[in-house]
Amino acid sequence: MNKRRFKFFSVMVLCLMLILIAFCPIQAANKERVFTYILDTEDQETADPQMTTWAYTIPMNIFDGLVRADTIAPGQSDLVPALAESWEISDDGLVYTFHLRKGVKFHNGEELEADDVLFTINRMMDPKTKALNTDFYDMIKGAKECLNGEADSVEGVKVLDDYTVQITLEEAFSPFLALLAAPPCAIFNRKATTEAGSNFGLIPKKTIGTGPFKLTSWTVNEEMTVEAFDDYYRGRAKVDKMVGKIIPDIATARMLFENAEVDVFDCDFARSQIPYFLESEKWSKQVVSGPRVGVFYYCINESIKPWDDVRVRKAFQCAVDRKIILDKIYHGQGILANGIMPKGLVGYNPDLEEIQYDPEKAKELLTEAGYPNGFDSEIAIISGTTSTRDELVQPMLANVGIRVKIKSLDSAAYYGTRREGKLPMYTNVWSADFNDPDNFFYTFFSKKNTAARSFNYNNPEVQDEILRARRIVDPKERIALYQELEKKIVYEDAAWLPLFSLDHLFVVQPKVKNFKVAWNGWSSMPFYGIEIIDK
Amino acid sequence: MAKFIFKRLLSAIPILLGVSLIIFILLNVVPGDPITLMFKEHIYPEVIERLRREMHLDDPAYIRYFRFIWDALHGNFGISYKLNRPVTYLLLNAFPRTLVLALSAAVFSWIVGIPAGILSAVKQYSIEDYFFMGFALCGVSMPVFWSGLLFQYIFALKLGWLPVAGYAGVKYYIMPAIVLGWSSAGTIARLTRSSLLEVMQNDYIRTARAKGLRELPVIFRHALKNSILPVVTIMAIQVASLLSGSIITESVFGIPGIGRIAVGAIQSRDMPLLQGSVIFATFLVIIGNIIADVAYAFIDPRIRYD
Repeated sequence: MNKRRFKFFSVMVLCLMLILIAFCPIQAANKERVFTYILDTEDQETADPQMTTWAYTIPMNIFDGLVRADTIAPGQSDLVPALAESWEISDDGLVYTFHLRKGVKFHNGEELEADDVLFTINRMMDPKTKALNTDFYDMIKGAKECLNGEADSVEGVKVLDDYTVQITLEEAFSPFLALLAAPPCAIFNRKATTEAGSNFGLIPKKTIGTGPFKLTSWTVNEEMTVEAFDDYYRGRAKVDKMVGKIIPDIATARMLFENAEVDVFDCDFARSQIPYFLESEKWSKQVVSGPRVGVFYYCINESIKPWDDVRVRKAFQCAVDRKIILDKIYHGQGILANGIMPKGLVGYNPDLEEIQYDPEKAKELLTEAGYPNGFDSEIAIISGTTSTRDELVQPMLANVGIRVKIKSLDSAAYYGTRREGKLPMYTNVWSADFNDPDNFFYTFFSKKNTAARSFNYNNPEVQDEILRARRIVDPKERIALYQELEKKIVYEDAAWLPLFSLDHLFVVQPKVKNFKVAWNGWSSMPFYGIEIIDK
Repeated sequence: MAKFIFKRLLSAIPILLGVSLIIFILLNVVPGDPITLMFKEHIYPEVIERLRREMHLDDPAYIRYFRFIWDALHGNFGISYKLNRPVTYLLLNAFPRTLVLALSAAVFSWIVGIPAGILSAVKQYSIEDYFFMGFALCGVSMPVFWSGLLFQYIFALKLGWLPVAGYAGVKYYIMPAIVLGWSSAGTIARLTRSSLLEVMQNDYIRTARAKGLRELPVIFRHALKNSILPVVTIMAIQVASLLSGSIITESVFGIPGIGRIAVGAIQSRDMPLLQGSVIFATFLVIIGNIIADVAYAFIDPRIRYD
């Protein structure tokens, strides 16, 4: 009996010890400075910025480009040297000569050379790569031929010596330098990327860049970890490690932050929480805010009657009280937008006439257009997303006779229908990829893109001017043209309804220092300057 | 018995083929395509068309389907369009987390549900009966997204006893296991109670008591053994269902399991990943049913599969 009891108690003690061990926090031998954040609600697909159009947070921290857009003030940026320490542009805007920094190391110890730039551009335009962001380099001479399989490499990229690379464009393209600061234009190491093959961007130790961090681990749908690169050319980062968690549920994300299990909360996840954080004694001092160089807008599909009538579109512009939406849903954290170029973008026009809320004028315009009793229409949303903007707009439009039904589609159906040009009215936001008006005008109103975004804007004269603006070398002349086009598109053609530019709010734990909102207000941002100071 | 298991496994083949065909047809009929979705806001129409051609997504549907079946028969379920990794790798990576979650939820539901059902049946209409049946009703009625958030709020945020989300150790599984297992425990408790009550009306139970047997052996050796069969069925089906992924629990608690993989595949129209996930889940359900049938034979000697 004693032996049995002894065995029983031994087992119980062992179980108790195991439980205690499971509950004991693991003590790190050295106190690492770890920054934990919510990377996204879904897995990042790849860390290769040539193969993704949206998952840029990790690439922005493990790679560099030739130039970089630095925040010089809230919502303002400047193009500064990055991997290229200087450059020259020919007077005709065709030839860009970059002088690379010497001694820049990749994570595998290799030194950056001009050949890596050549390799990177060739890789993007190689049809075997199946890159998604070929539009970022297709203005380079010979790039399209390479993409079509008619050439082995991009003719317009030449290595002049180990640290000098020359890029010649097919025709002048003024946004080119600004575009090189965008994440898809990160520079890769020829040796490491070639050896990695299709695993580049997927397997951490094979994903080599020059950035301040290197990718060290990745568990699909769970988290991605980067660690500081000791030999980073701007100096080692002040945090040792960054852990980006994938958290699909917004309420869980908020609780993780309040429980100090993550160090920053992006209020874009849950805008309804903004008043709580702003009014909270504990968190109000921890709110970091910056303007977004972006515009929230309503798309008006001109291929769907009666939206092809400019009077109907102008009626829509007058029927929406944008100030109420900004105040009620977004707590006044932003400014009304009246054009296409948001504040902070090169070319922004602060003197644009405000689009007035005038429901009576809207009714007159509809009557003039032949719709005295209004008409029925739809607004499309992605299911699972909040549609509070649309829910506020719906009665405003009903007030003037436009009876809209909010149609919910899953994301694949939504994007697929939009690409076919058949999505009815929808609202969205566009924040600058790079600091140039072309990123807005060409994206929405060019002949190439307007149908794919379901605008179906049809003004050939304006569309020709959008293409011409890309080739103008003189900045003043370019900006003047964009400002003129802006008035035509928004006021004369009423091709869209700009709503507002919102501030982007983050809340950080007290131990996080130097957290700055990116120049364009993106959620994806470089975290290089962040410090963790444990009290 | 071996012959029985082999026949059941053979019969799984047409089921799996049928399931894969239904998935293929559905994914081709619903609007949206995986290539467009890859681009999200950055739509480049020419690039999208080029990628569709290069990935052979513009081939006729029957060619794409037979290509998939041919590769699947060779153990290759393809590369996920969205996650860019072999489907087999993704499923095998995610499955252990779902396995731990499913088994811990299942064990919780058994160790709570069966005793609760027994106690409720033995002490019918007592306070214990009402308590446990109320507990069962809550488990069955409360949606996981609600109970999960409630648990996180109380035990993580307010009391600080447990972490909010993640899966880095045993303590990370406690809340998800309870939240997920509560519903199953409720079903098992109710079924055990009703099944036991029915059996305890029988003459042989009266005879056992009349012979002078104590109540515990009457319940466990005679009554429970004869009432457990339907409960075993439910337990096996619940385990199979849990193993195929509990998307809401995995989302709320940040566990990267099979459920999230499968739902992500549907949302991104990721045909290879969705086919792999559904075939995997179907296979687990078939295995669950086979295990339930085999368990019958062990529990009830009258059941034979020769």
